[in-house]
Amino acid sequence: MNKKRIVSSCLLLSLIFTSGCWDSTEVNELAIELAWGIDKGQDDDVMISAQVIVPSKISSGQGDGKAGAGQGKPFFVVTSSGMNTLDAVQKMQTKLSRRVFRGHRRVIVIGESLARHGIKDVLDTYTRDPNLKLRTDLFVVKGSTAREFLNISYPLETIPGLGALGEYDQIGTLMEMGFINFLVSASSKGSSPTVPVLVSGLNTGLSQEGEQQDSSENVDAEGFRISGAGIFDQDLKLVGFLKTSDARILRWVTGKLQKLTISTQIPDQKGNASMDVNNPGSKIQPVIRGNQIKIFVTLTGQGDIRENNARLDLTQPGNVNLLQDTFNKHIEESVLQTITKVQKKYGTDVFGFGDVIHNKIPSQWKSLKNNWDLEFSKAEVFVKADLKVRRIGVTGPSVHLMDDEIKR
Amino acid sequence: MRFTELSTDLAKNEQTLREIFQDCSDIVFRTFNVDPRVLLVYIDGLTDTQTLEKVVLQPILFDKNTDGLNHAYTPGEIIQQQLVAIAKVQTVSTLNEVTDGILKANIAILVEGEKQVLVASLKRSEKRGVEEPEAEVTVRGPRDGFTETLRTNTSLIRRRIRSVELKMESVTVGQFSQTEVIIAYIHGVASDTVLEEVRNRIRQIQIDGVMESDFIEEFIEDVPWSPFPQIQNTERPDVVSASLLEGKIAIMVDNTPFVLIVPMNFWTGLQAVEDYYERSIYTTFIRFIRYSLVNMSLLLPSLYVALSTFHQQLIPTNLLISIASSREGVPFPTFVETLLMEFMFEGLREAGIRLPKAIGSAVSIVGALVIGQAAVQAGIVSAPVVIVVAVTGISSFAIPRYNFGTAYRMLRFPMLILAGVLGLYGIICGLFIMIIHLLGLSSFGVPYMSPVAPQTLRGLKDVFVRAPRWSMNVRPAYVSGANKRRIPKGQQPNPNRKRGDQ
Repeated sequence: MNKKRIVSSCLLLSLIFTSGCWDSTEVNELAIELAWGIDKGQDDDVMISAQVIVPSKISSGQGDGKAGAGQGKPFFVVTSSGMNTLDAVQKMQTKLSRRVFRGHRRVIVIGESLARHGIKDVLDTYTRDPNLKLRTDLFVVKGSTAREFLNISYPLETIPGLGALGEYDQIGTLMEMGFINFLVSASSKGSSPTVPVLVSGLNTGLSQEGEQQDSSENVDAEGFRISGAGIFDQDLKLVGFLKTSDARILRWVTGKLQKLTISTQIPDQKGNASMDVNNPGSKIQPVIRGNQIKIFVTLTGQGDIRENNARLDLTQPGNVNLLQDTFNKHIEESVLQTITKVQKKYGTDVFGFGDVIHNKIPSQWKSLKNNWDLEFSKAEVFVKADLKVRRIGVTGPSVHLMDDEIKR
Repeated sequence: MRFTELSTDLAKNEQTLREIFQDCSDIVFRTFNVDPRVLLVYIDGLTDTQTLEKVVLQPILFDKNTDGLNHAYTPGEIIQQQLVAIAKVQTVSTLNEVTDGILKANIAILVEGEKQVLVASLKRSEKRGVEEPEAEVTVRGPRDGFTETLRTNTSLIRRRIRSVELKMESVTVGQFSQTEVIIAYIHGVASDTVLEEVRNRIRQIQIDGVMESDFIEEFIEDVPWSPFPQIQNTERPDVVSASLLEGKIAIMVDNTPFVLIVPMNFWTGLQAVEDYYERSIYTTFIRFIRYSLVNMSLLLPSLYVALSTFHQQLIPTNLLISIASSREGVPFPTFVETLLMEFMFEGLREAGIRLPKAIGSAVSIVGALVIGQAAVQAGIVSAPVVIVVAVTGISSFAIPRYNFGTAYRMLRFPMLILAGVLGLYGIICGLFIMIIHLLGLSSFGVPYMSPVAPQTLRGLKDVFVRAPRWSMNVRPAYVSGANKRRIPKGQQPNPNRKRGDQ
């Protein structure tokens, strides 16, 4: 009994010495960076930029009496380049009085030139580092470098990096899943990764949105916006961009969309209507006959009519069916258009059709997988939309219309 | 020597008694020169002199009456007759018994020419009325509390349990104090093994004096070095009665309003009196809040220190930013800062209890200023630490039993040090050590963590929830003896729902 007691207390005491206070760091000894930029430096170097918060510039309530608190930008950007990421961080540390703390990195932005050059060689550290968060979001900056992007302030958020995150969340995607999704499709042969694209400037260049454009002429004083998606090929090189609407469809087909709003013109009615779709879903059914690959995409969802500028009385079931059919037709057309565009223009399977074939017809996948991108661009795609209107809003016909203007 | 028989010579007896009570100025010797002579010996202040005069002195001095048979009574006979009607009278014959009787606040009546001495109980002690206990207050429930008088206390219990099965064994403890200690239990309901253990442990106490029930408690508890109390104390007769009905054993000590209840388990420490006087749903809800507050009072400061100095990744980003901004310019490490504030808080609390009521409010004002706004604005302490300390303080007040709360208050500091040195790892080590200790602990042979470990499903009805009274139909398994069933089954209210159709 006594011996047992001594042994167990020795064991308990040894716990205390197995760890130590060596890794304790006060919060005010950390340089907390929330956004992180990767660019191509000179020679084959990597250029790293970090958006570091300045805690004393963030009002906390207690600094009310102090002069100067809350003045100026609450963040600053440090940049340095090196052979690889950690080398650059090492060099960055010489410019910072506090330890770089990467545990709260929420956003990683990649400059367009690096993205086009390929990001295969810089990604390793983001999965190996114990401080890392896999649940971070990856963005490509279109027409600019990550470093310039990080310097832009965003009016709604004190830390601009969080603004990008918020915007991404608002368009109906799951926040903080970007990097994981990227890694999943990067490591799979049956799909190619896509990354949301950020463009600086809130309101400029609206007419050419989504098109290839010269960035130098539309840099706003502040702000940035989500503008579609960047498509990567299997070598993790950026091959092109998709428009915002195309990107939304892409996420719908891949099942990563949480909500969306569809607007369409109603034929014969000289009006348009919009519907909020909740829980959009998609089903992909591949059929292989010899060399012919057919892919059937079924998009589902339930929605509420939120705007009805056609003079329809929605209390009539016939009119609701008319709207529903119009939405379905509209969706079928635009989705097919997007998929065809990707097939013809980029030839990389960002929709993950290959993965579906892998899962559903594994026997066929063996022969297809080595040449999948080529096969993908030849595949025949059929789209069927199955949206259901569940609610029509509070009013039947529009309230501001006279009785005789309404089509019953 | 002192067991000597008394002599028939009153003068000699008086001489002996005067020698024994030498230099005891409060002992009164009164001689009455009637025939035969009478001597009264009693302690001044403990005797009801009014009754004494009316019952003893008047008949001897004035009423020397005879009855019809012309037989003159001796004073001794008169006294005996008179006293029988009024008080408890004993006839003793040894010196020891006489002195004992006098010390126990009786009157010794010695009569010339008789070997026998009358020891009459005419107690009149200073006593406080039955008041509401201050330490354990309830919104609903009886308002009476124990007093310093043992007989009052036993009567308060007896009023609640009017059964011959309620036994009150008396033991005298203390070489000089000769304090009466009563072991109360309900025969058949209390476990015999526990009862025997209690008897043995109390009998073994050798002490010169007992001032408070804690004197007994410290001698009979199982693990003196444990921070957790293994014996419950209470000022409320209703709590004692309820515990007796559960099969527990109460130890009542003269001159203290605090009654000990054994065995105690961990969960008793978290149950308030009112839990049993409020509806069970509400009590269950309050219990959940209480349990989380208990954990907070133990862990909140250490968690704050561990998270903010070791595991910044675990703090939500926005919170981290505001913590970082409020820590800007604070000179101390978080650990030191928290330790300092906790220390100050405990200091304020102790000062608040010790100070006279008139100064108490000043302390709380100064305290609020010291650990409140001023310290934060001066940049000595960061605001989150003040919040953490304040919340911890509030949580520790939510623990119903004072001595159980002190256990947690005490353990907070080692926990804080572990967190400051090892982070979350340290907290987990600390918790493990604490839980291992708790599991090993037992109170009078009853496992401290019962009924959770070892688990009895029925016992859980009164641990995490407070089940409705009609469903708690057996007594706690580890405490009770042969008589297990508390109430018959099937008493759930079920009013006749078919009242409408006759």
